[in-house]
Amino acid sequence: MLNLALLKSEIVLGALALGLLAADLLLPEGRKRALYGLALLACGISLFLTGSALLPAPGVFGAGVPLPLPTGGGPAAALGAGVGTLWSVDPFSLFLKMVVLGSTVLALLLTMDDSSIPDSEAGSFSCLLLLSAVGMMLLVSATDLLLIFVSLELVSIASFILVGYERRNPKSNEGSLKYFIFGAFSSAVMAYGISLFYGATGATSLVAAKPQGAMALMGLLFILVGFGFKAAIAPMHFWVPDAYEGAPTPVTAYLSVAPKLAAMGALARLLTALVPAGSMDLTLLLSLLCGLTMTWGNLVALFQRNIKRLLAYSSIAQAGYIMMGIVTGDAMGLQGILIYSFVYVAMNIGAFALAVALAADRSDALDPYDLDSFDGLSSRSLPAALAMTLFLLSLAGIPPLAGFIGKFYLIGSAVGTAHYGLAIVAVLNSVVSVYYYMSVCYRMFFTAPRKGARVPRFGAGIYAAAALALAVTLFFGVFPHRLAVWAQFSAKFLP
Amino acid sequence: MEFPLLSLITFIPLAGALAVLCLPKDSRRAIEAAALAASAVSFALSVWLYFAFDRSTAAMQFVERHAWIAADAVKVDYYLGVDGLSAPLVILTTLMSLIALIASLGIKERFKEYCFWFLILEVGMLGVFESLDFFLFYVFWEITLVPMYFLIGIWGGPQKEYAAIKFFLYTLAGSVFMLLGILALYFKADPHTFDMLALMKIHGTLSFRFQVLAFLAFYFGFAIKVPAFPFHTWLPLAHVEAPTAISVILAAVLLKMGVYGILRVNYCMLPLGFEWFLPILVLIAVINIVYGALCAMAQNDMKKMVAYSSINHMGYCLLAIAGVSATGFSGAAFQMINHGIITGALFLLVGVVYDRAHTRDIGAFGGLAAKVPVFAGLMSLSCFASLGLPGMAGFISEFLCFLGAFPRWKIYTAVSVLGVIITAAFFLRMIEKVFLGPLNKRWADLPDMNTRELVSVVPLAILMVALGIWPKWALDMMNTTMVSLAGLFK
Repeated sequence: MLNLALLKSEIVLGALALGLLAADLLLPEGRKRALYGLALLACGISLFLTGSALLPAPGVFGAGVPLPLPTGGGPAAALGAGVGTLWSVDPFSLFLKMVVLGSTVLALLLTMDDSSIPDSEAGSFSCLLLLSAVGMMLLVSATDLLLIFVSLELVSIASFILVGYERRNPKSNEGSLKYFIFGAFSSAVMAYGISLFYGATGATSLVAAKPQGAMALMGLLFILVGFGFKAAIAPMHFWVPDAYEGAPTPVTAYLSVAPKLAAMGALARLLTALVPAGSMDLTLLLSLLCGLTMTWGNLVALFQRNIKRLLAYSSIAQAGYIMMGIVTGDAMGLQGILIYSFVYVAMNIGAFALAVALAADRSDALDPYDLDSFDGLSSRSLPAALAMTLFLLSLAGIPPLAGFIGKFYLIGSAVGTAHYGLAIVAVLNSVVSVYYYMSVCYRMFFTAPRKGARVPRFGAGIYAAAALALAVTLFFGVFPHRLAVWAQFSAKFLP
Repeated sequence: MEFPLLSLITFIPLAGALAVLCLPKDSRRAIEAAALAASAVSFALSVWLYFAFDRSTAAMQFVERHAWIAADAVKVDYYLGVDGLSAPLVILTTLMSLIALIASLGIKERFKEYCFWFLILEVGMLGVFESLDFFLFYVFWEITLVPMYFLIGIWGGPQKEYAAIKFFLYTLAGSVFMLLGILALYFKADPHTFDMLALMKIHGTLSFRFQVLAFLAFYFGFAIKVPAFPFHTWLPLAHVEAPTAISVILAAVLLKMGVYGILRVNYCMLPLGFEWFLPILVLIAVINIVYGALCAMAQNDMKKMVAYSSINHMGYCLLAIAGVSATGFSGAAFQMINHGIITGALFLLVGVVYDRAHTRDIGAFGGLAAKVPVFAGLMSLSCFASLGLPGMAGFISEFLCFLGAFPRWKIYTAVSVLGVIITAAFFLRMIEKVFLGPLNKRWADLPDMNTRELVSVVPLAILMVALGIWPKWALDMMNTTMVSLAGLFK
């Protein structure tokens, strides 16, 4: 069954993204900022189409209509869920699509106020951003290695360009080139893995595959390398710091959340579909990678002096926490992946939003993203300093903020499935991470402001992004019930 | 629906904190008023709690229970309640918070932020003692860390930043292991639950090995807070660097969270682990008592001396717990209250002299008794209370601690009594050097205590004497619970 209609939100978003390019030609110079508005509108439409399928989940909004778990066409498809030839639109993927779209919205809001992207290029920039979002949305729905590969490439190619968007900034070029070389290499490895997998099982579909034997295992490992690259799992993370530092900051904020979460979601689907069927135990390998990812990310983040690099390494560690849910693979772990993804978007992009706002004042400085931009922020703007503190504490997993709820689920699932070693590594990493997150608080609250530092100004876009992120971080930390129920409903795959 | 007394006690300071945050930072009067009002109302409600508390039952009282997270994987209740162990601590917390806030009125810099963090801290401390759901308990436990980090780090002494991050990381390291313990217990219970009262009933189903491991995870978290040897090294630094009022809160309330946790969790939920650990616990208690007292004796800095005396006094609590008797538990609980009051007063008084003289060196003074008689009187009174002079509150609780521990641990208790002698020695040495002898000419125009300082110290001094003469006021509240607690142990 083709069921193309299931992908309506991706199709609409893709079409609107290309429409942006056309609109770019029509709009006169100087009015191009309007394109950001159009891009936001496109995300809004897609968000509505995605959300309308998921939101009737029972217990999320009031009593709600209990949604029967759809198993194909028919009335269920009218709700927007079902299985197509290469894709499966189920609550799990719908949830992650909303997370991807949410982070796209936040990234667009940041872009509106970031000086590194000239207004004249608003059209092509937003188009690329939306296209990579389409790629991620397809990725989390894909049930076939071919579609996985194609959508990963769509994400990657758009991201390569986005990272290199500051043409005159050598760091941006360097980051883009590194990203591209690593990316192309990992794509090749992944394609090779897929071919091995095909050779072993005679199919590329995840649904009915029964991978057995050494060749299938090799194929699976190579595919894993491809995902590891996208999700920046150690030791496949080397491109991250340079790409993140060089990229325009809204792109960094975007790349540090959306592709990671989409890749994690797809990986979760891949492993749940293949590993039990194939009687292969990858748990040990995955938990080693997971522990390595969080430890490496946190240890290196301790020594960073640039907020973008600091958040880059911290996002490696955060991917490690999310990966715990994949290692354990139980219901609580899958729900943990979803909850953590949702709140991670808010808290991480929130932190980036403040970094952008502070850097805007430092055109004079050699490195506007040096940590010393935060010096004495509390005396310049207490609300901004408190907001940043809350984002950082949430990233560190301190209650009662949303990050804690996600971490609680993930660590809980590790304890519940007797992965005690992994749980201990994770909590120790949380302690280590507090040190560098607090080093930013140290600058904001304990240090005197630099000479000539002003009260930071917030453009409307940054203000909206930070306020939205803060609302999510606080609200779902104090009242996590709805998020938990929503994730519980969503942590279901269709074959 | 019943009147949500505990919620009001806990969250009125939060409302105060938010109100302070909304006020402009120049309107100091309004900030003072909002912060004091929130803290005072919370205290007044806890006085009500004192009178409304039913002393004849060991069951939880003023219980509030609402579903908070009701997903399949995680079920958490907003579940508050107090018994004879926690109710006195709640009252102590609101009292000491109000007093510490009064003592903080002298703070000049960034007063608005100070009040904000202070009130958030009060919310966290109160919540820890009232929570009956482990998830909620952990949330409140962690809430205390962040404000403390800022309070030490912004308003502290010369090494404040280092002290602040050391405090944060040290206690966080302990509490994450507590989190693992909480999760392990959660998954052992059938059906899975965070309900602390339900978890107290399942220990019959837990294996010895599990209980020992879970005991260690929890103990690690609580021992750091107590602080029990060898996890005490954060305390002198944090106490000395913290501003006066925050030292008061640290000593009077935060340390009690550890002892409270050991009694509530380690003892009640993991009896086999507790029994296994008992010989080590009593050893640690004796080390805390003797080593803490000896360290205090070696100090020339008054604040550091009081800080080390806290380690010594918490040792009495641990010793009494190791005695596993109703007498011992009452002693431990009463000692927590008394230590809060007495050491709180001592830190306030050290702050008074430091504000004037800008030194805390014991050797730098001399003959102050004639110069500042009120200060000298209050300081001597507090020292006598702290060293356990009969007639003062400290004597009763220390006596109960020894009495409770003696039947089980005769030699250890005998050694611990040495601690009392050493305590007396260092306090008397300080009184002699600071107040007696010829007046050091440097301090010829030292002013005596002002009204704000008197308002914060005198109530504590009255309590020290009152509870020493008529301890029934406090012990009555605890007795039924302690008898029932002691009955759990076979």
